[in-house]
Amino acid sequence: MQTYLQLWVLLIPVLGKQIGDFLASSDWLNIRGWTESIIGWSMDATHDLLPSSMQSEFATIQPALESFFIATIMCTVVFAVMMLTLMVVPYIERKFIARLMDRIGATTSLRSLWIGEGNATAGDWWNKLPMGLGKPIGFVNKKLNASFGNDHPEKTISRVNNRGYHGIWFLFPGFFQALADFMKFATKEHMVPDKADKLVFEVAPVIIISTTIMVFAFVPFGPHIWAANPDLSLIFMMAIFGVAPLGVFFAGWASNNKYTLIGGMRSAAQLTAYEIPLLITVLSIAVVSGSFNILEIIDFQIETSNTWNIFILPLGAVLFLVTMIAEVERIPFDMPEAEAELVEGWWTEYGGIRWGLMFAVEMMRAYAACILFAMFFLGGWEFPFQDSLSSLPFIGSSFGLIFTIIPGLVWVLLKAWILFAFFVWIRASLHRIRTDQILEFGWLYLLPLSLVNLVIATFLRLEVWSESGWPIWTAPLLSLIAIFFFVIYAIDEDEEALAKSRRPYSTQTLSKAYPGSQRK
Amino acid sequence: MTNPEYNTGHPHATPNFRNLVIRPMWITMKTALRTIPYIGKAKFLKNNYHNQRANMMDEFTSQRIGNNHPSKGHIYSADRESSPALPFLERPVTIMFPYERLEDMEPWLFVPGNYNGRIGIVWETCTACKACIKACPNDCLHMTSETRVNVLDTTNEGDEWHGYGSELEAGGLAAREKETFKQIEDEFDLVNAHKAPPQQYDFAEIIDITGDTATVRWQDGSGIEEIDTSVLKPAEQDIVSGRIDLGRCMFCGLCAEACPFESFFMTNEYDGMTGYNREQLWMDASRTRLLPAVHQERVDMELAKRAEKEKKKRAKKAAKLEA
Repeated sequence: MQTYLQLWVLLIPVLGKQIGDFLASSDWLNIRGWTESIIGWSMDATHDLLPSSMQSEFATIQPALESFFIATIMCTVVFAVMMLTLMVVPYIERKFIARLMDRIGATTSLRSLWIGEGNATAGDWWNKLPMGLGKPIGFVNKKLNASFGNDHPEKTISRVNNRGYHGIWFLFPGFFQALADFMKFATKEHMVPDKADKLVFEVAPVIIISTTIMVFAFVPFGPHIWAANPDLSLIFMMAIFGVAPLGVFFAGWASNNKYTLIGGMRSAAQLTAYEIPLLITVLSIAVVSGSFNILEIIDFQIETSNTWNIFILPLGAVLFLVTMIAEVERIPFDMPEAEAELVEGWWTEYGGIRWGLMFAVEMMRAYAACILFAMFFLGGWEFPFQDSLSSLPFIGSSFGLIFTIIPGLVWVLLKAWILFAFFVWIRASLHRIRTDQILEFGWLYLLPLSLVNLVIATFLRLEVWSESGWPIWTAPLLSLIAIFFFVIYAIDEDEEALAKSRRPYSTQTLSKAYPGSQRK
Repeated sequence: MTNPEYNTGHPHATPNFRNLVIRPMWITMKTALRTIPYIGKAKFLKNNYHNQRANMMDEFTSQRIGNNHPSKGHIYSADRESSPALPFLERPVTIMFPYERLEDMEPWLFVPGNYNGRIGIVWETCTACKACIKACPNDCLHMTSETRVNVLDTTNEGDEWHGYGSELEAGGLAAREKETFKQIEDEFDLVNAHKAPPQQYDFAEIIDITGDTATVRWQDGSGIEEIDTSVLKPAEQDIVSGRIDLGRCMFCGLCAEACPFESFFMTNEYDGMTGYNREQLWMDASRTRLLPAVHQERVDMELAKRAEKEKKKRAKKAAKLEA
């Protein structure tokens, strides 16, 4: 028995260092520290309560047990944080894309403030604010709604006119739509196609969902909110991140449907082409930061070098962003789904909770990509120019107070959400590209560029970096070079085509037709 | 950075970073900003699509209804939905054709070749080769042509127009007077006959000419014959009528592609393609006519080609005379 229990010790290298305060950057939200003290205290108490004959035996397995309980609790905490904050992600997706694609302005006309939503009109929404804060606006809204809105003296007609939303007063309308969707998917029938490979069909979603959730074990939400921290967490995490495409291919093949098969094939081709540049880019981050540990990479940006990696490796940031968008299969790289041509791609045949969970996983992967970008390039849980702001004369101390009060979790989440909004912006703007173009782009451009980026990173680390930090010119110079190239590409206009586009003939009718013109 | 391979003739159709990424993202960002009250009013966010007003009163109606009519001076904007309280947020839904036109509101749609509109034909350069009719998958093109002898070709030495007509050439058409030629000319009374005049010529395709001997294939089916060129006159295929049943047309543009003489075009125009019954969709030559000036470049190319041919012919003739 004792020998088997001691096997828990094997978990320690996987779960990583147990001491939370090895980080130079820290904040007061020390969930890990709190957990460690509680578990340590309770384990010590257990040790003392045991009969003295068993105490020495218990002492041998105590570290392993502590490690196990801490890991369990922290996994739960991280999972809870991830799931709760994930709800914001589809909300951003829906609301922001509505504005980006809203040619007519109806979504956000001020009219929507008094046109009703749900059983309550927007005026009532204001009225429900605590302590009557919204009463004046609610009154005006009521009047406006009576004149120009959907309200009707007949209550039933009013309720028909005013659409419903899943929201309560302290959250925005539509926030719980994702939850409602989940309930719907959860109650749907599970159907497997007749000729499908049933075992693989059932296993594929499990592979996809479980590996994606496992990624978050290595994603820190704050200096003290992380589940596991092995020394090579970066490599471990990227390896797990790369398992899901296998499940995608399984799903596409097992469904026994031409659309899913094409989707699965495309997925395999695309992810092979983009995973290599992604990994090489991630390698360049490890080279520059001098560590394969995610926490240490963040700590390097915040404390050791005090410079975010995006200013050191702008090319790496672009490559990481592009390959990550491809990796999480979002527009413009959503070729495996391509709902216009492949119905819904590799998940055409899935329905019910499997579909719902895989959709959630899609969001989770995008969310993980955003958080990882924030970790690798945007300094993790540090506010932009936090140190400079804190050291300003006169107002610096108040900034310092703000940064002390607000935990790093907030900055991590804000960065991730803003990055996700950027993903949505890209989705609203760009086209899905063709299969051959996507592969050409991956192999011919991204792969060489990522190698160039790796060379740059190695040069910077070996020749430029010194123990005192980056030289003063490094970040400004590299950022300026990046901005220069961006501007060059952004203003690139085809003058020749512009000259050519002059029409050789006129398409306009000189005298326009109008009723009565034929009577002259 | 500009790849000449991608020069598609329009700057917005060049697939570079600017057009594929920067511009779409800027457009969507502007769209998003436009939805925000007050900020959305900023001038640089405006486009010429919004807030267009249309005066729907034409001069004739204006005269007809007089000055006291309530419609006088009324500006219609039925397709601009808004709220009376906040008129600055509007949604254009419809283009009020014909008072507004898509060309004015979205001119970028009218890039040449962007879509196939009404069929336009430069009849001046059409040779009645009927390649378009062979290409048409819907059988909507119809052409009647007639083999004729041009008066220009029948001139004798000393006539004012002698030498301007065409000549016998391989691949062309030739005509031989029938035996009854003189008789028909003398006896046929066009005024009282109430029927078409009988054919005065036998027509043939010229397969080859060597010296004064021409190998011809008679069109009446009597076979191939070698014949002396002195009895032959040059003939030509003339268009009697060209009509298009637009009700059957699917605007595929295969006819325009098939045309070897730069005279068949798919235009950008969409006017005048309506009717109250299917017969009104039969478009005759005058409804398909494109003025040569409209496609001047192409027509000039074709005319230059023909002038070159004519020049060669005359040089050959002069050389022959000298010899």
